[in-house]
Amino acid sequence: MKKKVILILWLLIGLGVIAIYLTVGEPNKNIIIQVRIPRLLLTLFTGMALAGIGSIYQLMLANPLAEPYILGISSGSAFGSILLGISGLVVLMPLGGFIGACFTMLLVWKLAHQKGRFDKSRLLIAGVIAGMFFSAGISLIMYLYQKDTALILGTLMGNLGHIFTSSEWVFFLILLVVSFAILIYLYFKSTAIDILSGGDLYAASLGINVLALRRQIFILTSIVIGISVSYAGIIGFVGLIISHIVRYFVPSGQKKIYLLSLLSGGIFLLACDLVAKQLLAIELPVGIITAFIGCPFFMWLLLKKQS
Amino acid sequence: MKKTLILSVLIVMAFVFACKQTDKKQKQGIVVLSPEIAEIICALDAEDEITGITAECNYPPSLKDKKVVGSFSKINLESILALNPKYIFCSSLEQEGMASDLRNLGFQVEVIYPESISEMLAAIERIGILLDRKDEAMNLVSRLSRELEAIKQNSRGKAHPKVYLEIYRNPLMSVSDASFIGELIETAGGDNIFPTLERDYARVNPEAVISANPDIMICYSQDTLENIINRKGWQNIPAIKNRRIYFERDINPDIIQRATPRCVEGMKVLANIFASWQNEQ
Repeated sequence: MKKKVILILWLLIGLGVIAIYLTVGEPNKNIIIQVRIPRLLLTLFTGMALAGIGSIYQLMLANPLAEPYILGISSGSAFGSILLGISGLVVLMPLGGFIGACFTMLLVWKLAHQKGRFDKSRLLIAGVIAGMFFSAGISLIMYLYQKDTALILGTLMGNLGHIFTSSEWVFFLILLVVSFAILIYLYFKSTAIDILSGGDLYAASLGINVLALRRQIFILTSIVIGISVSYAGIIGFVGLIISHIVRYFVPSGQKKIYLLSLLSGGIFLLACDLVAKQLLAIELPVGIITAFIGCPFFMWLLLKKQS
Repeated sequence: MKKTLILSVLIVMAFVFACKQTDKKQKQGIVVLSPEIAEIICALDAEDEITGITAECNYPPSLKDKKVVGSFSKINLESILALNPKYIFCSSLEQEGMASDLRNLGFQVEVIYPESISEMLAAIERIGILLDRKDEAMNLVSRLSRELEAIKQNSRGKAHPKVYLEIYRNPLMSVSDASFIGELIETAGGDNIFPTLERDYARVNPEAVISANPDIMICYSQDTLENIINRKGWQNIPAIKNRRIYFERDINPDIIQRATPRCVEGMKVLANIFASWQNEQ
């Protein structure tokens, strides 16, 4: 009963944040529909995807430090979009991001196998190495093209203010539908992921095709992360901490954890973007706000748990 | 022991002697690290004295025959040392660190970074004095002041179009009145929609652009006309509805972004753009 009340309260807070997000500063109808709602959708989607996938990775890789960016997909994606951005093809940046994500995904997946056998640690190491490689590539671009620093920082620190053209918007909506379909599909895989976390042998003995499941999750999540980084850049912290905070309240049961992570990630990022836009006259990169709000909160949670 | 001592003294003396040799060489010529100052120096008829430039110094075009000592932010110290110039002219910003390094090496470094039209005129006079081109500088300054006055006179009493200048698309960035380019827009008879920003060049909110309803848009963000007119929510902006969007091909960024004598040409182009808007009102 008490849990339900908290959930409803949380949902109401979410709706409140959405309402404030859309109406703060007395915008006219045109601005609400054409600018705010697209940004709202992008923000909600990004927050949900990061937090939800974060919770899956932490369980699947049996590593509390795992997050959507740990497999290098984000750096590959950012590298791709920055590369197109500095070549003057600013409009095509999301495409570059997506190609970068797919390429990194294939590379890391290939590296994660040894003689055809998948290895969890190999996957992590391959992801980290790929991430470092592309980060170095981004640093090189930043060093060589200093006049494009704004663009590069926008991608590295998160930029939810993507300006859509009409055709791009339709395209993005299609991607959004695909992404949400994937996120919903992953929800139904929660039980299987839960079982998988008990070990490959155990899962296989229960009739789960471990290899296929893992490949499926890896590919599907990479696609969603690729789409998110392509449009919003890299927004740290959400993917790591939200699911930990959720686990603090709901210790087990991936189904519930996943769902709550999706919900909380969306609301949290929305609230952070609101702060980022309103705190100072100049808009702050949202990635800084997520860390500034989330880290102290998480530290407080850790301290509370100790006592 | 004694031998080693004598030997080391000899080596040290050899070094000292060698150093003196280079020091004796007469310092001559000018190395210019900033494209703005290169333009001013050439406008003062001192192009012949320039021995080294940076890759960005592209005007006047004849500068391309000069030795390049690096780019604006990555300067090759050794090539400057090899040229052994009498003066080094550099800009502020990221060149400041380099300026103090060069000063420590005994060069005369002049940091000139005009941020307004009046500072640019002052810079011309200062460079004129330094390079012994006082008369040329005075003539140039008085000619520019005359033309400036004419431009101001011309815009007086006319309606001022609201101008939005986009220097970056992702994230969206524009300029404030405090920037050089902002001052040119205002002087040429336009009304910059972002009079105050946190910095001269700063990130702006797309909603603010839509609400400001600019009449004219100058786009230096490498976006295409097709994309701009299709941006969500931008259709009702007068500049976009009436296709008053100007790109680099319409107005060369160098003549309004650089604080050089050419900015007068830039203001004339701007005034023409504004006039075509005024004629339709």
